[in-house]
Amino acid sequence: MKIWLMFFCFVSVVQAQAQVDIRKNFVKKSIAVVGDAPVAAVLKNDLRLSGAFEIKSANEAEYLALVSGTSCAVSQSATKTAVLAKAYQATGRTLAHAMADDIVQTITGQRGIAQTKIAFIYAKTPRVKELAVMDYDGFNIQVLTRDGKSSGHPRWSPNGQKIAYTSYWKGYPDVLEADLDSKQRRVLASFPGVNSGAAYSPDGSTIALTLSKDGNPELYTMNANGGGFRRLTNTDGIESSPAWSPDGQSIAYVSNASGTPQIWLIDRNGGESRRLTASPSRNTEPDWSRPPADAEAKPAIAVTSEVGKFQIGIYDGDRTVTPLVADGIDNSDPSWAPDGRHIVFAKARNYRSRLYLLDVRTKEQIELPAIEGEASEPAWGPWR
Amino acid sequence: MNRKILAQTLVLAIAVSTLTGCAWWNKHILHKKDVTTGSQPGGIGSTSIDSKVGDRVDLTNEGSRGEFTPVYFDYDSAKIKPSEFTKLEAVASALKGNSKKLVVEGNTDERGTAEYNRALGEKRALAARQALISLGIDGARISTVSYGKDRPVEMSHDDTAWSRNRRDEFVTINQ
Repeated sequence: MKIWLMFFCFVSVVQAQAQVDIRKNFVKKSIAVVGDAPVAAVLKNDLRLSGAFEIKSANEAEYLALVSGTSCAVSQSATKTAVLAKAYQATGRTLAHAMADDIVQTITGQRGIAQTKIAFIYAKTPRVKELAVMDYDGFNIQVLTRDGKSSGHPRWSPNGQKIAYTSYWKGYPDVLEADLDSKQRRVLASFPGVNSGAAYSPDGSTIALTLSKDGNPELYTMNANGGGFRRLTNTDGIESSPAWSPDGQSIAYVSNASGTPQIWLIDRNGGESRRLTASPSRNTEPDWSRPPADAEAKPAIAVTSEVGKFQIGIYDGDRTVTPLVADGIDNSDPSWAPDGRHIVFAKARNYRSRLYLLDVRTKEQIELPAIEGEASEPAWGPWR
Repeated sequence: MNRKILAQTLVLAIAVSTLTGCAWWNKHILHKKDVTTGSQPGGIGSTSIDSKVGDRVDLTNEGSRGEFTPVYFDYDSAKIKPSEFTKLEAVASALKGNSKKLVVEGNTDERGTAEYNRALGEKRALAARQALISLGIDGARISTVSYGKDRPVEMSHDDTAWSRNRRDEFVTINQ
């Protein structure tokens, strides 16, 4: 058993040490989109957000996409060769997102993210924070709760059907689970003290979370079906914010056991933990990228680092964190898209939090459409 | 003898919560106005006879706030500073003269992530609770809640405001 634990630890650390692949010379394909206005406009934005395309006019672009009703035809401009022709059942934005993913898949060989969702915390007024989901492009916002209390830290189940989150619905922070299909929710953890930070294991069987029921905020796991609580850590400090490794064998989390909050790693069954980051002064909110479709991109841990202001960084395996978004504005709570290439995060300009998308490869930031109030703590949903 | 009864009760409680736990779905439809009404607080395994952090008291009955001076903290710290000891002694001596329950509310300043601050706020509340226990107050009377960075008292964004927001507040409840 001990040997197994050591083996898992070793594998996880090797993965964590892999550099994230930021290709400086990445070349985008050019594409023109013509046809029915509302759908074509959404499709254009999707192709731009994919990071794989730049939009050009029809006589300049390598590819031409023609939208007609619910059909889409894509051809290579130079050779006039058809590369994609498909009719869809969907309408509106859903139609455009489906077309975008097919075009990205056909031309780049990568799976697109246009049909994914992002969960986040929506605050119309500062003290009322509700759970919300939207399309990845910031449209089609649905506020799921109407508790009139605070909530936080949404995380998706691996199949995208459920969201675990923290809710002060009864006054105290509880971990609830919302089922997007049945539209029901249930209590996962409601002990005295704090119940928060829930995160599903990649196989969906287990949830890691923070509980203080035994006298201190510590890391626990529980069965995703309910119950089976098991304590993983035992320190005098604070443990929070678990994030599972892509293989589900270990959990990255925050601990201030070394004096300041840093990212640590522990086996899913507990045992010895080891510190991953040592600088900058504080690192919190790890999110481990899922296995990317692109074999060249390696799993990496995105974090929130404090360097005067707060910035987004990537743990590069050598106890340090490489800055990714460091613009002198407070940036926080990175969450990886399932493609292992994009990140959604919160940027608080003048202390008002809004959501941004980041293409890790090109470092381009896209501000999502403005909403009334604030959006924070985003979580990018899986492919469904 | 007492200990034996406690142990038996605990085993029973765990058995009951395991049996009922999996099927304990709150029949709440998302996105409906009545989503907060109906079921009891508590959940799977929430029976906490041996609670080390104090059983929850019902927060819907508004308690008495402002009776005690808040305890303040340094940035990213949950350590009770020597300057704050007398405030906790005042809380302890008042509690010795009555049978009220106490909720310690832990708060942080606005810097940093919501989730880490939620844990930090809890640690601050637990630090005060521990100090009160060492001053002779029964831990069963003291529960904790962390509001993280959600409830600042000072809305500006500077050192003075931040130092006032990093605090424990004390709410007494008759029950």
